[in-house]
Parts: sequence; structure tokens; C-alpha cells
Amino acid sequence: MGFIVSLAWKNLSRYKRRTLITACALAFGIIMFLWLDGMLQGIERESERNIIWYETGSAKLMTTEYQEDLKSMPLKHCIEDPQSLEQALTGAGVTTTRRTVFAGEIFYGEGSLYVKVIAVDPETDGEIYRLSDTLAQGRYLEAGEQGVVIGEWLAQDLGIAVGEEITIRTRTRYGAFQTIELIVVGVLNSPNPMINKGTAYIPLSLADEALEMEGAVTEITLLFPEWQDPELKVQELQGRLSAFPGITVQSWKDLARDFLMFAQMKSAGSSILLILVFVIAAVGISNTMLMAVYERVREIGMMRAMGMGDGAIRAAFLFEAGGIGLIGTLSGIVLGLVLNWYMVNYGMDFSAIMGQMDIGYRVTGIFRSAWHPQAFVGGLIFGIVAAMVFSLIPSSRALKMQITECLRYE
Amino acid sequence: MKLARIAFRNIRRNRRRSLLSGTAIMIATLFITFAFSLIAGMLGDIESNIVRYVSGHVRIRHVEYDENEQLNPLHLSVSEYEEVVRQMESEEEVAAAVPRTRFFTAIYRNGRTYAGMGLGVDFPREASVMRIQDAIEEGRLPQMGQREMVLSAGLAEELDLEVGERLTLLTKNKYLGMSGMTFTVTGIVRFLVAGFNESFFLVPIDTTARFLKMSDEATEVLVVLNDSKRVDEFAEKATGILAAMGRKNLSAQPWTRIGASVGWMQLARSAYDVIALVFFILASTVIVNTTMMVIFERMREIGTVAAMGMTPREIVRLFFLEALYIGAIAAFVGVLLGIGITIPLSKVGIDLTQPMQGVDLEINPVVYPRLNIRSTVFVFFYSTIIASLASFIPSRRAAKIEPVEALRSV
Amino acid sequence: MNRILPLIFTFGLLAALSVSAITAEEIVKNVERNEINEAERIDGSMIISDRFGSRTKTFISYASGSDKMLLEFTNPEERGQKILRLEDEIYLYFPEAEEVIHLQGSALKESVMGSDFSYEDMTGEGDLLDQYEVTLLGEESIEGRKHYHLELKARKRGLAYPKQEAWIDAETWVMTRANAYSLSGRLLKEMELGDIRVVAGKYVPHYIIMRDAMKKKSSTEMRIEAIDLVAKLPPDIFSLEELTW
Repeated sequence: MGFIVSLAWKNLSRYKRRTLITACALAFGIIMFLWLDGMLQGIERESERNIIWYETGSAKLMTTEYQEDLKSMPLKHCIEDPQSLEQALTGAGVTTTRRTVFAGEIFYGEGSLYVKVIAVDPETDGEIYRLSDTLAQGRYLEAGEQGVVIGEWLAQDLGIAVGEEITIRTRTRYGAFQTIELIVVGVLNSPNPMINKGTAYIPLSLADEALEMEGAVTEITLLFPEWQDPELKVQELQGRLSAFPGITVQSWKDLARDFLMFAQMKSAGSSILLILVFVIAAVGISNTMLMAVYERVREIGMMRAMGMGDGAIRAAFLFEAGGIGLIGTLSGIVLGLVLNWYMVNYGMDFSAIMGQMDIGYRVTGIFRSAWHPQAFVGGLIFGIVAAMVFSLIPSSRALKMQITECLRYE
Repeated sequence: MKLARIAFRNIRRNRRRSLLSGTAIMIATLFITFAFSLIAGMLGDIESNIVRYVSGHVRIRHVEYDENEQLNPLHLSVSEYEEVVRQMESEEEVAAAVPRTRFFTAIYRNGRTYAGMGLGVDFPREASVMRIQDAIEEGRLPQMGQREMVLSAGLAEELDLEVGERLTLLTKNKYLGMSGMTFTVTGIVRFLVAGFNESFFLVPIDTTARFLKMSDEATEVLVVLNDSKRVDEFAEKATGILAAMGRKNLSAQPWTRIGASVGWMQLARSAYDVIALVFFILASTVIVNTTMMVIFERMREIGTVAAMGMTPREIVRLFFLEALYIGAIAAFVGVLLGIGITIPLSKVGIDLTQPMQGVDLEINPVVYPRLNIRSTVFVFFYSTIIASLASFIPSRRAAKIEPVEALRSV
Repeated sequence: MNRILPLIFTFGLLAALSVSAITAEEIVKNVERNEINEAERIDGSMIISDRFGSRTKTFISYASGSDKMLLEFTNPEERGQKILRLEDEIYLYFPEAEEVIHLQGSALKESVMGSDFSYEDMTGEGDLLDQYEVTLLGEESIEGRKHYHLELKARKRGLAYPKQEAWIDAETWVMTRANAYSLSGRLLKEMELGDIRVVAGKYVPHYIIMRDAMKKKSSTEMRIEAIDLVAKLPPDIFSLEELTW
């Protein structure tokens, strides 16, 4: 056995160029596959994240009356005691933040627009939402200040800049008319168009006072890791909150029914594309392996002539192929990892590629991949197996021929 | 020595090798062709949806409507729309022209009001544009002039409504007054387009006009062209036609300059361009790899031929020609096969019933791949060129080696 | 006509009047006596203006006491539409609708005909002296006439306008001007009444304008073209049956 292994190893180093080219083919195929897979996963995740990171978190707690009338944002159906809910959820593996959402009219200069106003807790909101990452101008909110952060498209529509004063007109929890004077401290441009176009953010404490909330909020947003199944988690949480019958837990999927603009892009066509890439990669690998082994038929003949058994020869080639497979696959995986890491954290900036897009608004075009461990594992296994399988075919063929034919092979 | 003839003979002589190499190139080319067609199909889908549901190829509106769109300004309308529609229909570039009126209403049902978005349409004319008849899930289309409507499935669910029931709409009419009208629901529709507003309904446009106190007015007229590439051209022509009709307050915009949907289109296109790039790189690698292997395997042959007096230059050119021929033939066959697969699929479509990860939108996207210059001619030339160029590196390296070295390397 | 206006402005807020010897209750009675009629029929017009321009609507309204009113539009665009108020309930009738719309809850916060008045403004919510704490700020002269300047602060939560100011003509007991403020004290709406004429022994303002103080060109004006304070109203006029007739 040891002899076969060392034979295989020696062959690997002898035919350096062959080994290298084949390993490269393998590595490249795997890198491309991982890259595409990461991107396609990224596309699929993008719209999900768009919702989760900026609108809904993983799930939301609200009163059942509120949920039934969600579109009207009825302040009177608020959560009176958010603290007890949060306490009930300690140890459940979720992060929470409180928010109060209400409809308001923004007044600036001669213009006014109806918007959704979201009062957030600047200290905990960032643990769930990524809004502070999307600031285009100015800064994010600070607790207790008389400030507001608005979407960039909204700012553009009304002609507002950082530092200017606006007034929001709305009604309190008990129905009284209320006006809130604010200074714009930041303007954000997120990947979520609804936010850019029609949302304003103010500190929760400000809303609490202005809207006569007395500590109540309209929702508590929850975050749990991406890999957890939302439906299952929601069930678990609903169980924990059984002491609060008036409260319902809504997963982001329940909340996002109406909205998914990217759905077409991420549609199932991606699986076909992935298969195609897979096949091309397989073709590349098989091709080189086949060629490599066919060239050595004479060598096989010589080995047979010298008395080496068929099984031993097959094993030797198998190991060699396995070796190539390992080298190629590992380098492919490692490089794929690096590439994916870059794509996940930095992504590709599309804004440059998109060039002039005359829609009147600026669109952030940074596209990120997503981690898909299954693809890495699959690639590793496939690479090694494919290399071995494709070396088996010609070597088996050679073993079936007459030894003399082998020696004469061209 | 006629290099060309030698090249041909070599190809035929090393049948196995040529076949292996050619097959690899052919498969790679085949898949690129198919992948590009698939992508083109998906992009075409997005574009087609924008055209059919949102803006047509060219959209005619009152010049001041867009900037006041949020307020739903019914008085900023296309008056005497029938005349405008007929004029557009008479133009040879136009496939269809339809009038539409958008309005926001409150739906009154069971003592509660719900928000809804209404679209007044010309049902007979929309048969070729919005194709509502294909989206009907239950019931039938409304008759023009009647107080009938079709609802989106989402709205029907929210209101707990069935075909045959009636509901009353309340809205602000063109004169800033209120209007109320009861409609009978004749059908429920479901459009397989993600992102389509879930709470909408369709009403005959003449009834809408009566309801909103708009006489012979529509908020927009959409024009669909025969040739989707002549959009900008026709938009200009349409502007001229409108001016000639004395309608100075109307403007015709090409869809490429309207709204956010164009932005997403661009984003989608860019994303797919990157994916296409991946395919390219991968396929190229396969081709290069194959070609290189073929040449490296023939070192001894090179040595022999060099020893017989062939100059390095001629050697390089010889292998170049070989690669060129194999590449050209393989690429040609590959593209042909690619076309062969795509054409029937473009008629039937690929039904991707695999539900998208997570969100169950009950959409069965069917993708129709389409052929274009890029996926055929371009791919053919590219494959051929890459195969030929790939021959340079190995052949040059090989040609420089001393014949004795070459003869010895096996 | 005043029945349609935010009634909150017009009632006996004068309890805290300390200037004159007359008591608050008597002032309230004076105002109410001037205001409330057994039966009333008005032919009037309403002009709604926004940044795009003005639209005029004409109507006939009937009222009895302070809690029953029927209004019917007579201009071409809204002809046949009716609004019925019975105490705190509002009903809408449209010729092309097959049911009567009963407005409740948050729907009452919607504006009437896109004007600056909401249905809520039309429904009196109980006794104003109950709801507001009134202070007399002083006397002012408006167009040469002595007016009492009053400030009203909400006693409890849930009132649409937490703070208001009113200027009452000391002679005619007609409210000439009123302002409504948000909870934080910002001016929201301004109202002026004018063209005061004597009809059947009462002082009746024939012109009212209500402005949205935050939107530059948003206002609603009402004019009384004809008023009959002793009209013989048809029986059962304030009923749902009558509404759909």
C-alpha cells in the first residue's frame, strides 16, 4: 500500500505541469462555482435583508388589534407594558428594541407630505436595524434630542437639507392634534426604496412625550440569527408569551407579504444557472483528467508488463487523481473563501456600473454575496470525487487492453 | 509545406485528442449560449412587466402630473383621451394604446373603511396589454360602462369578499368633493408579478370617469410599440404628434426615463452581466485548459517536427491553426446545439415551480429564454478566438525547447 | 349654519368671565339663545381652496336644535349627495351608492368634502364647559367693536384641539374669530366669521372662513345665501329613510 501511495506521490511531482494544469482547472471551476453560488444566494438574501435589516427585523410583537388594522397605524392599540414582554423574552435568544410608528404630515417651506414616522430608541435600535449604516449626510439620532432623520428621496422631494427645521403634524394616542418641531440631523439612503421615499425617524423619548404615550409603544422588534427558521422561532416565542394573550408575534414573512420588488431577480432561474456552471466546471475537470490519463496509457502498459497488478495500478492512479483533486479542490476552496469573504463584507459597487440612471433619485448599488456553507462542502466533495472518477475511466480502459496495445498507444 | 493541410491531418490523426478537446469547447459554448439566452429571457421578463403594467413603452401624461403624483391630481389629466388613444393607434409603430386612470379610494365595507388603489381601464383594449383575462382566477371581466369591478386576490381576502358581492367606494373626486358609488364584484384576479400592489382593483374607465366626475379624461395613456428598441425615437415623435393636435399640456416619456422600476431593471441587468461574466471566465478556462493540455501532451511530436527542421514560428502557427479549426467547428456546433435547445424552450418556457426560499408568493415563474446576437454570434466568435489564442502559450513554450528535450519529455 | 362649524368654538365658554357682572351661565344662555333654533333652513355655498385652485359647492341644510342636521348638495358635481347628523353619528348618502355610509371611529377624522372641517368637527361631543377650562384673557377691539378674548384649555384627554382661543363680540354674542392649537401650542386652524345680519331677532354670521394655518393656500369658506329660522320642516326629515329619498 505504502508503495502505491509513494508511487502516486512521485508521479504527482514528476508531471508537475500536468498536475498543475489539472489542479488549476479544478480550482478554477470550484472558485467560479462558489462565486456564482455566493452571488445568487446574495441576490436571494438581498431582498430578504432589505426587509429584515431596514423594515421588519426578524419579527415584531404587537397587539392583535393593532395587527388587524396595521395599515392605519392606530396608536390607541399600543403595547402598554413593553417591559414585561421584554422580560418574558430574556433567554429566548432574541435582541429587542422598542418602536412607535405613526402617520404624520411633514411640513417644510411651502410643501407638505404624508409620511410614516418611526420613533426609535437610538441606543438599542442599531442592534437590530442597520439604518445608521446608510447615512448619506449628517449623522444618526441621539437619544432625547429634538432631531429627525429622513430618507434621501423624501429630502429631495421637499428640498430639505441637514440642519433645517421641519414640523410634523399628527395626532396623539388620544386623538389630540399635535405638532412636533424638529431639526434634520441626518439623511439616509438605504437599499429600501420605501424608506427612502416616505419615512422619517425620531427618538422614542420625543414621541413618548409628544404623543402622550406614557411608556407605551406600538411594536417591539425582535432579531434572531438569519439561519433560524422564522416560522419555528415565532411559534416558540408565541409560546413564551402565552401569558400575554393580547399580543401577537409576526415574522418578517408575515409582515412582508405586500412587498418584494426583487423577487423577479432572485427567481428560480438561479438554480438553473447554478446547474449550468456546475456542468461546465465538471466538463473542464473531466476533460483534463481524461486527457492526462490517456497520455499515460503506455506507462500503464509498462507497469503491467513489469508485473504490477491491475488493482494496484488502478489504486495508484486513483490516489494520484485524489491527490490532484485534493490540491485543486483545496486551493479552489481557500481562494473561493477569500473571494466570498470579500464579496460578503464589501461586495461589488454597482453604482459605477449603473452609470446614468435617470430616475431622479440616487440608488445605492452595493451588492453583497451570502455565505452558503453547503456549497463549500459540496464543492470539496465533488472536486475530489470527480477527479478520481474521471481518472478511473481511461485507466480502466487501459487495463482492459492488451499489454502490447498499451505499449504501442499513441 | 502547407501548414493548413498539416494542421488538418494532425487533427484527424489524433482523433481522440481532437474529439476530447473539441467536445469540451463545444459543451462550454453550448452552455454559454443557453445561459445567455436564459438571462436575456429573465431580463426581458422584467422589462415586459414594466411595459405592460406600469408605463407602457411610452407614457403620455399631463406635464404637471408627475411632480404632483403623490396628491393624485385628477384635474391634471389627459382630456379627451379617446382622441389621443385613436391617434396613437393609427401610428404604424404602435402595437396598442390604452388609457388608464389611477385613483385612491376608501373602500367601505361592514362599517369599516379600507384603503385601496383603483385603476380605471379600457378592458377590451387591455386584452393585448395587461392581459387581464389571463389573470382571472374566478368570475369574469367587468363590462364597460357598468358599475362592476375585479379585485386583486389579496384585497378579496382582506375584505372577505366573493364574486357577486357588492362594495361601495368613497373617494375625493376631481372637484375636491366626495363621490360614492357601489360596485358589483364580477371577478378576482391574480397577477403573477411580484411587487404588484396587493390591494388594487380594476374598474371600467368610463365608469371611473363618472365616479370621479372626470368627463372623457384619463390620468395617463400608455403606448406599446411593436419594436421595443425604438422607444426614445417614438417618444419624440409622439411629443410632436401631441403638439400638432394642439395638446401642449401633454408630454410623452419613454419608459427608460420613468421611475424606480427602471433603476431596478438596470440593477438586474448589471447583476446578470456579472453572472454572465462568471460563465465566460469559466468557459474560457475550460477552453484554454483543454487546448493547453492537448499541446503539452504532444511535446514529443513537437520535438520530432522541430528536429526535422520546422521553425519555432511555424510550429506556433501550426498549433494555432489546429486550435483554430477545432475551436471554430466545436464552437459552431456548440452554438447550433444551444440554439436548438433554446428555440423550443423559448416557446414552451421553463416552469420553475420550485418555491423561492422562504417567501411563498404563490408565483410560478415561467422563464422564456430568448436568443439574441450576444448569445449566438458573439459567443461563437469568442469561443473560437479564445481557443486559438490559448494555443499560443503552450506552443510557444514548446517551440523554444531544444528538440532533444522535447523528444525526451513524455 | 353654525351647526356645521366646529361647535366647540361657539358655545358658552364664558364661565370664567370675570369682567362683567353677568354670570357665565347667563352668557352661555345668551349665546345659545342666539345660536340654537327650533328649526332652521339654510341655502348656502362652500368654497374649498387648495394650491391648485378653488371649487365651489352649493347646498341646502336643515337643522333642529343642536344635534340634528341634514345637508344636501345642489351643485352639479355633487348633486344629490346628503350628509345626516344625528347627535354623534354621521351618515352619508350618494346617489350612485346602494348603501348608506355610516361613519364611525377614525373615519370621523376625515375631512368633509376635502375641506378644512372634519366630520369630527361636526359632531358635538358633549358639554363644552365640561371639556374645556376657560380663562378670560381680556378685552380687545376688533374692527371697532369690543370683543372678549377667551382662552380654552382642554380638561381631559382625547379632545382634538387641546387649546383654543376665541374672540366674542360683547354686544352680539357672536364669535368673530377663533384659533385652534396643537398640544404643543402651535396654531393649526384660524377661523373668522363676518357679514353679521339680524335674522328673526338673532345675529347670524353669513360668512365663515376656516384656514389651515400650516398650509399656505388651504382654506374653506362658507356663505349663507338665504336663511329661514322659523321654517316649517317636513316631519321625519332627520331620518335614514329621508336620507335615501
